[in-house]
Amino acid sequence: MTSYVSILYLLIFLPAVLLVYNVLPKKYRPVILLLASYAFFWSISRKLLVFLLVSTVSIHHIGLWLTAVQNERNDVLAQTERSGKKAVKARYIRKQRWIVFFAACVHVGTLLVLKYSGFFGRNINALLTTAGVGLSVPILKLAMPIGISFYTMQAMSYVFDVYRETTKADKNLGRLALYMAFFPTIMEGPICRYSDDAEQLWEGRRSTLENLTFGAERILYGVFKKIIIADRLNIMIKILYSGYADYDGGMMAVAAIAYTCQLYMEFSGTMDVVIGSAELFGVVLPENFRHPFFSKSISEFWTRWHITLGTWFRDYVFYPLSMSKPLKKLTSKARKKIGNHFGPLIAGTMALFVVWLFNGLWHGAGWHYIFFGMYHLVLIVAANFVEPFTREFLEKIHIRREEGPYRIFRMIRTALLVCIGELFFRAEGLRAGLCMFKKMVTQFTLRSFTDGTIFSLGMDKLDFIVAALAVIFVFAVSVVSERGTDVRKVLSTKRRIIRWAVCYGLILCCIIFGAYGMNYTPVDPIYAGF
Amino acid sequence: MNKKMKNIIGCISFMAGLLIIFAVLSVIFVPKDNSRAAGMEAVQANGILGEKENTIDYIILGDSETHSAFTPMQIWKDYGYTGYVCGTNAQHLYESEKFLRQALKHQSPKYVILETNAIYRYSSIENAIMAKAETYFPLFRYHDRWKTLKFRDFGGSVQYTYTNYSKGYRFEDRIDGVKNREYMKPTEKVKNITKINRHYVNNIINLCKENNIELILLSTPSISNWTYAKHNGIQKLADQNVLTYIDLNLQQDQLGIDWETDTRDKGDHLNYSGAVKVTGWLGAYFQQRGDLTDHRQDAEYQSWDKDLKRYEKKVSGK
Repeated sequence: MTSYVSILYLLIFLPAVLLVYNVLPKKYRPVILLLASYAFFWSISRKLLVFLLVSTVSIHHIGLWLTAVQNERNDVLAQTERSGKKAVKARYIRKQRWIVFFAACVHVGTLLVLKYSGFFGRNINALLTTAGVGLSVPILKLAMPIGISFYTMQAMSYVFDVYRETTKADKNLGRLALYMAFFPTIMEGPICRYSDDAEQLWEGRRSTLENLTFGAERILYGVFKKIIIADRLNIMIKILYSGYADYDGGMMAVAAIAYTCQLYMEFSGTMDVVIGSAELFGVVLPENFRHPFFSKSISEFWTRWHITLGTWFRDYVFYPLSMSKPLKKLTSKARKKIGNHFGPLIAGTMALFVVWLFNGLWHGAGWHYIFFGMYHLVLIVAANFVEPFTREFLEKIHIRREEGPYRIFRMIRTALLVCIGELFFRAEGLRAGLCMFKKMVTQFTLRSFTDGTIFSLGMDKLDFIVAALAVIFVFAVSVVSERGTDVRKVLSTKRRIIRWAVCYGLILCCIIFGAYGMNYTPVDPIYAGF
Repeated sequence: MNKKMKNIIGCISFMAGLLIIFAVLSVIFVPKDNSRAAGMEAVQANGILGEKENTIDYIILGDSETHSAFTPMQIWKDYGYTGYVCGTNAQHLYESEKFLRQALKHQSPKYVILETNAIYRYSSIENAIMAKAETYFPLFRYHDRWKTLKFRDFGGSVQYTYTNYSKGYRFEDRIDGVKNREYMKPTEKVKNITKINRHYVNNIINLCKENNIELILLSTPSISNWTYAKHNGIQKLADQNVLTYIDLNLQQDQLGIDWETDTRDKGDHLNYSGAVKVTGWLGAYFQQRGDLTDHRQDAEYQSWDKDLKRYEKKVSGK
């Protein structure tokens, strides 16, 4: 199984697991899900399954260890006089922090070694060469288990939550194992918290007709997005990004927009399949997308795009950093000197810098990913700094930010800024990204649209028409959902003939207009590579 | 009727309706001729569909090694035996089986030659499932024809009219040689054949048995593809199934293959000069077996002479 949008997954694996799951008695259902999850992992990463198993056992033990320390603290506190309680608490916090640090060393350390050792090694060697030192660091080529970036974050969120005592450590190793390995989420997320799905998964609820219908519809919609739009655009995107030197600035703009579209349709489509798959088993997973292209600012965009990654960084990096003693001190000092708006921004920016550095690096070991993170940091920080001036200016000229054309202008502006960021994200290296951007700005021309170049990139006119119509369809569904209507619920109230016609229509669109089969190269899932 | 039963009937009806739609659309989307203009894939290999009924003596299946190494027109010219290369680039065994099944609807050859490189090609379960689905519902194979559908596709019957004058052989006279070396070093090692490929080989074996066809396993010379371990694997397969296996990589001296001049890509595929040598051997082999008829004087086969003229013009570059 190479992707969630594959025949083997959708037509064989998923229905088989669903059938066995529902046929067996309740107590065996979680076991089936766990075995299926390990089988799924094994089918992709084989022996590297051992990494997942070690991670699971490790967080199980660490969770219990933290709880033991917390219980011990509570016992000691109960026997300590009021005046000594603070010191006891501090002692036990230090102890727990060491445990969390140990957990981070094991889990994040493994991720760092497997994912980033090549990148850091190459950069260290480049530095050593520049410095004229005749030494070099050996570059290791290490195999990475599938989904390590995702399950490591789940593991760490569990450890942090137990440390913060917002989640109780789970004694049940099986439940924790299923939380870590649940097959729909293992490859591309969403990055779940223990409180999101662990209990639901272990409950083993029988699938209801509503689960099956809604889940299947959601999967179908995801397949539609991926194989009609994302995979169709892939040929053109590959040509433009690998051969950017041969094309003009207009084509670079096409490359930026097309890749943003592909990435959104691919990732959100896969999330539809993932969330729909879980829904078949009666499990509700957190959403990872909420119509991001309706965002009016970059900050808002990141609350709508890859939501579970954003909230992870917010909860486990941004908040702890900005609430740390040194940054709090800095904020209070800055408030006094430069006021209530700009004062907190300095500490906030420092915390955001770390968040965006990690965010960039999380996506991959490359300078262009770091640049991608820094690009968003600059946009967010700049928007924060100019906020009072913008507000004042708009009030003066009587423009209401949240309404009418200005709202649409903000959405388009945000979308364009996102497209530029994605250009760097997809480019084959930072230098290529900068060249493409420079071309887009300095050599912008529409010549490629009129001389037929646009239709020589693996997509003819009809391909563009199909992709455009499919995008319009997705946009229309998004508009309806954004207004608070649950499309599937509305559909379920219609007569059977209408429901069936809609489903048949979507299935046939996927089969006829899908970019699969003899004229297409299968497209690997983009986010599984992160 | 209780609600549960109603739901089950609803699901079954939905699936049945879907299958009916697939079947109807398959009729529309399937190419109505075997020409490129009609939307047919692999037209050279599928040219066999346009050949007159029961006129083909032997069929060659396999990957690009086949359409590089065997030129049926040469055998026609020298011996009067008719053959067709149903080989395509990177052919998987499920495709080989499909080509054979299609061909056997109109032809009754005496020999089927399966070039063995395809037996070691990785076939995913996913592709095999897709290939099966395409057999039942050609819509999955030809869905991309929505761009070129014509009025005729909605009602017309399928009629194959295209024939290929070189009978599946792809002429290539480019030379990109490699130094001659001994690459078939004897070993006891046996390269395993995957279960999925073994399944499809068995299907081809059974298909040949059912139609009284002799299946021959044949390895064409390829300095960069073939090894003795692969030879041992195929020999084992042939022994288990009582099949003839000929490895031309072990007969290079008799064939006179010179890797400095007989390959177009450093020893992966043969070029025309290499194909002439291998085909010369195959023609002699058929003659030696003595159960094929020389059709050169048969009026039914006149079209082959016309094709030969075109072929000779092509290979002579005039």
